[in-house]
Amino acid sequence: MNHSNGKIPLVAEMALIVMLAAAVGIGWNHKLLRDVLAGKPVQSAVKKETSPQPATTAAPLPLGLEQAKELFDRREATFVDARDRTAYAAGHIQGARSLPLGEFEAALPRFKGEVKPETTLVIYCNGFDCHDSLDLGGKLIKAGYGIVYVYLGGFPEWKDAGYAVEGGKP
Amino acid sequence: MNLMGRHMISIIRVALGTVFVYAGALKVNDIVAFAGNIAAYQLLPYGASYMVAAVFPWLEIACGLLLIIGWRTRAASALVILLNVIFIVALATAIARGLDIDCGCFKQGGGDKTSAWQALLRDLVLFAAAIAVYLKGTPEKQRSA
Repeated sequence: MNHSNGKIPLVAEMALIVMLAAAVGIGWNHKLLRDVLAGKPVQSAVKKETSPQPATTAAPLPLGLEQAKELFDRREATFVDARDRTAYAAGHIQGARSLPLGEFEAALPRFKGEVKPETTLVIYCNGFDCHDSLDLGGKLIKAGYGIVYVYLGGFPEWKDAGYAVEGGKP
Repeated sequence: MNLMGRHMISIIRVALGTVFVYAGALKVNDIVAFAGNIAAYQLLPYGASYMVAAVFPWLEIACGLLLIIGWRTRAASALVILLNVIFIVALATAIARGLDIDCGCFKQGGGDKTSAWQALLRDLVLFAAAIAVYLKGTPEKQRSA
């Protein structure tokens, strides 16, 4: 067996391995990738196998500004504001629903009635130092929501970026 | 290279391959969660995160298997070096930007969180191991030593 000095140059061998892995990876996940490219909501394969039991240990997935904006523009997700009602009333991401962490137990039945479990959720609060969004995301996963992201930059980063915000609804 | 050195390189090669097969196998089980972890680095667009998440685990498995069986080890170790460089750069930028994220290196979604600093140190060790295998671990080099 010869390598760099053999019939197949090292770079070609590397390229071959990469192409093989890409072919298997894309083939294996073709349905998932097709759904993503078509803008359809996707769900964790592990969660699919264990459904209909709600996930009890999964953590919400963190999301950056650009990814959050992409989901917002493609109308693929429901944004959920984890801050208190006063902060929400003072301004929030356009179209976001208010679900304060402190009112979670009381507000959950109505929220579940209006937002289906298969909906992609993007939770946010007051930025990187705020953990309410992570806590709320964990609770929503336990409540049966399968696709839960946490937008870590939160409302301050979104507003600073000049993206769509609006005042609170009564 | 002496007998002891050859054995040591073989052990490193198989250990490195096992780590990569293990890491890839865990990610293959939950591509969506892995894509979320990639997205957390804020380096790729939404769709590209899924594409990378679909391919990377299989690349890790392929390289790992080649290292374990000792076939095309030079190409496999070169790819492992390349992968580690990508991981190290991504982790370094996450640290520089103050992102408090899970590295997404092994188990996806839930479980213990591995900080970017811990992952960076681990990747530097793997990087050094891959360099050693690349330089000393190919069969023809062993034969000619």
